[in-house]
Amino acid sequence: MKKSHFVEPKPKAIDPSKWVALVGNPNCGKTAIFNLLTGLNQKVSNYPGITVEKKVGKVYTQEKTFFNLLDLPGTYSLSAESFDEQIVSDQVVSWAKGEDPPSVIVSVVDASNLSRNLYLTTQLLDLDIPVIVALNMMDRLEDVSHIDIKKLERELGVSAVIPISAKMNWGLDDLKKAIQKPIKTREQVDHQSQWIKQELSHQFKSLIDSKFLSSKFAAAQALRRISRNGSINGEDTKIESIRNSISELGYYIETLEATLRYEWIDGIMPLVQPKIKPKIHKETRSERWDQILTHSWMGPGIFMVILYFIFQSIFTWAAVPMDWIQAGIDNISIFVLSNLAPGMLRDILVEGIIGGVGAIVIFLPQILILSFFLTVLEDTGYMARVAFMLDKSMTKMGLHGKSILPLMSGYACAIPGIMSARTIDSWKERLVTILILPLMSCSARLPVYTLLISAFIPPITVGGYFNLQGLTLVVMYFLGTVTALILAKIFSRFIKEKSSSSFVMELPPYRVPIARSVIRQVFIRGKLFMVNAGKIIMAISIVLWFLASFPKVDASVTDVNPIHHSYAGKIGHAMEPVIRPLGFDWKIGIGLLTSFAAREVMVSTLATIYNVEDRGDETVNLREAMQNDVDEKTGKPVYTPLIALALMVFYVFAAQCMATFAIVRQETNSWKWPIFMITYLTILAYTCAFIVYRGGLFLGFS
Amino acid sequence: MTIIDLTPGEVGTINGIKGDRHLQNRLVELGLLPGTEVRLVKCTPFNGPVEIKVRDSYLSIRRDDAKLVELK
Repeated sequence: MKKSHFVEPKPKAIDPSKWVALVGNPNCGKTAIFNLLTGLNQKVSNYPGITVEKKVGKVYTQEKTFFNLLDLPGTYSLSAESFDEQIVSDQVVSWAKGEDPPSVIVSVVDASNLSRNLYLTTQLLDLDIPVIVALNMMDRLEDVSHIDIKKLERELGVSAVIPISAKMNWGLDDLKKAIQKPIKTREQVDHQSQWIKQELSHQFKSLIDSKFLSSKFAAAQALRRISRNGSINGEDTKIESIRNSISELGYYIETLEATLRYEWIDGIMPLVQPKIKPKIHKETRSERWDQILTHSWMGPGIFMVILYFIFQSIFTWAAVPMDWIQAGIDNISIFVLSNLAPGMLRDILVEGIIGGVGAIVIFLPQILILSFFLTVLEDTGYMARVAFMLDKSMTKMGLHGKSILPLMSGYACAIPGIMSARTIDSWKERLVTILILPLMSCSARLPVYTLLISAFIPPITVGGYFNLQGLTLVVMYFLGTVTALILAKIFSRFIKEKSSSSFVMELPPYRVPIARSVIRQVFIRGKLFMVNAGKIIMAISIVLWFLASFPKVDASVTDVNPIHHSYAGKIGHAMEPVIRPLGFDWKIGIGLLTSFAAREVMVSTLATIYNVEDRGDETVNLREAMQNDVDEKTGKPVYTPLIALALMVFYVFAAQCMATFAIVRQETNSWKWPIFMITYLTILAYTCAFIVYRGGLFLGFS
Repeated sequence: MTIIDLTPGEVGTINGIKGDRHLQNRLVELGLLPGTEVRLVKCTPFNGPVEIKVRDSYLSIRRDDAKLVELK
C-alpha cells in the first residue's frame, strides 16, 4: 500500500474496491474490530504534523482480494471538542469536499448504548457516502432479539446494519461481505436538515458552502458554524436574523443540532427496541463493581496497591531480561572485538553502534512491562475510574484527572508518557502535564543512581530500618515527583487557557481485555519507543564516539591519557569552569554532554573514559575506578559522597534526553515549549546541585 | 434544582443546561437533553467530580459543571 495515498488525499474517481473508513464513539470496540479485520496487516503512523495515531490496514477477503481500512480516533460527534476529535472532523470535512472520500463508512455502534451511539451515525449519513452500521457488543444485550435490525436499517436509511461481537469474534465475516457487496441505494432519510428546509430554507441558502458535495452536509456544517458564533462570508446580519428566527421557534441555537438529532433518534427508538423500557434505575454489573473500586477510601487504596505492584514488577521482573540483554550486547561486542582487526571500523562498531543501540534496547523490558499494565488497565475500563477518583487532587495541582496515566508512564520513560498525554482534552492541562513529565524519574536515570549510590553511599542502616542506599534512591524519586507537582501548580498559573477545561468523561463498562489487542498495543508502544528514541541515541552515540576518539594521539609519544586530547576531552575541560562550582570535574562534564543522547549513557561514557585512560589494562571495574580516582595535583579523591549526591540531584532535574525534546516539539507543534523546558530544567538542575554541594561543604560534609 | 441536589441513587429529569456553549454542546451531544432522565450515581469526597447515569452510559462530570444541569 502506498503511504502517500493517505497522507496527501487527492480527488480521484471512486473505485468500489478502494478503501473503507471505521468511525465510532470512544469505547465502542472500534479498535478491536479493526484488529480482528486486519490481523497483522496494519501500519501505524502519525497524522502529518501531529501525533494522533493513524492506523491503516489491509483486509483480505475470501476472494483473495483486499480493501484498505482506516481506523479513525474515537469521537462522540463531528463538532470537535478535543484534539483527537478534531482529526475526525477534519477528515470528514475533506471527504465532504470530495477529497479522497472512502467508498464505504463503517459506523461502529455499541448496541448496549444505542441512542447515544447513533448520534454520530446520523451525522455521517449527511455525507451521502454509503454507511454500514456495525452493531457491536451484541453479547452485552440480554436478548439479541431486543433490537429489530431490519427496522433499524430502514429507519436510519443505511446500507446495512450488521450485528457483531468483537469480543466473541462473530459477525465479522458478515461485515466483510456487506462491505464488498454492491451498495444498496436507499431512500434518503433526513435527520435534521429537513427541519432547516422547512423553517429557514431561504435564509439558509446563502450560507451553504458550495464546496460540499452533499447539500445535507453543507446545511449541517452551516448550522454548526452559526451555533459557534462564527461568521460565514461576513454575512453577520443574516446570521443574526437566523439566530432570531431559531429563538422564536423556541430552540436554543447553541444546542440546536444535537437537539434536532436526538429528537429524531428518540422518535425511532421505540420502533427499533420495542421490548426495551428505559432502565435508568438498573444497576449494571460495572456499577456494582464500582461500589468497591471507586469507593471513597477503598478505591484510592486499591489503586495504590495496584501502583505498588506495577512498580515492583517493573524493577524486579524486568531485571532478568535486562541482564540477558546486557549479556547479549557484551557477547556481540566480544564477538566483534575478536573477529575484526583493530581499527576504526571495529571501534565505531563496538563503541558507537553496539554501545548506542544497547543503551536503548536495555530499557525495552521495562517499557514493555509498563505498557502491558497500562494497556490492561485502560482496556478493562479501570483507568477512567482512576481519572474519576483523582481528578479533584489533580486539578488542585493544575493537572487533570487524565494526567495520571502519562505521569505513571513517565516513571519508565518520558516519551510514551508525553505521547499518551494527548488523551487530555484541555490544552492547558495537557501542556502542563507534558512540561513536568521529564521530572518523573525515568528508568534511564536508574543506572546513574545505581552506580553513584553503590560507589559512594555507604550501605549502613539509618533510623533503625532504612538502608541508606535504598533511602537515597527513594529520596531521588520523591524529589522529582514533588518538584513536578509544585511546578505544575506554578505553570498552570501562567499558561493561558485556550478554551475552558471541562471533564466530562465516560466511565465505560468493565470488560475483560482482548489478549490480541493488548499484545498488539504493547508491541506498537515498544516499536515507537525504539524507533523514536533509537534513531536519536544511535546518531548521538556515533558523534560522541567520534569526539572521544579523535584526534588520535600516538600513545608512545606522550604519557598523558589520549582522551585528554580528544575533542570530548577538550570540551570537558572547557566545561570545567562552569561545573566546578557543583564539584564536577571534566570527566563528569563529558558525561553530562553524552547524557544528551540518553541519561544512562553517562555510565558507559565514564566506563569509556576510564577504559581509555587505562588503555592496555583489563577493563577496570568502573565503581572501583571512580572510588580510587585521585586528583593528580592535590592527591585528594576526585569524587566524594557529597559530589555524588550533588550529581544525583543534578540528574533528577537536568534536561538531558534529546529524544524527549524532539517528542515535545512534535506534540506541541512549536519550538517554544521544548526550549522553555530545556531552560527551566537546566536552571533547576544547576541551582539545586549548587545548593547541595555548597550547602554540604558549608555544613562540613565532604 | 440541579443534579447536585439529588441524593445518590435519585433520578431527575433534565430541564436545561446553563454555562458556556462548549460544555452545553458536549453534554447535549452525550444525550443530556431536556426531558431526559438522569440518575446521580455517586459523589467523590472533597467536592470532586460526580458520577451520573444518562441513557445507557455512566459519565463523570465535575461538580461545578453538574450544578449547571437544571432539573425539572
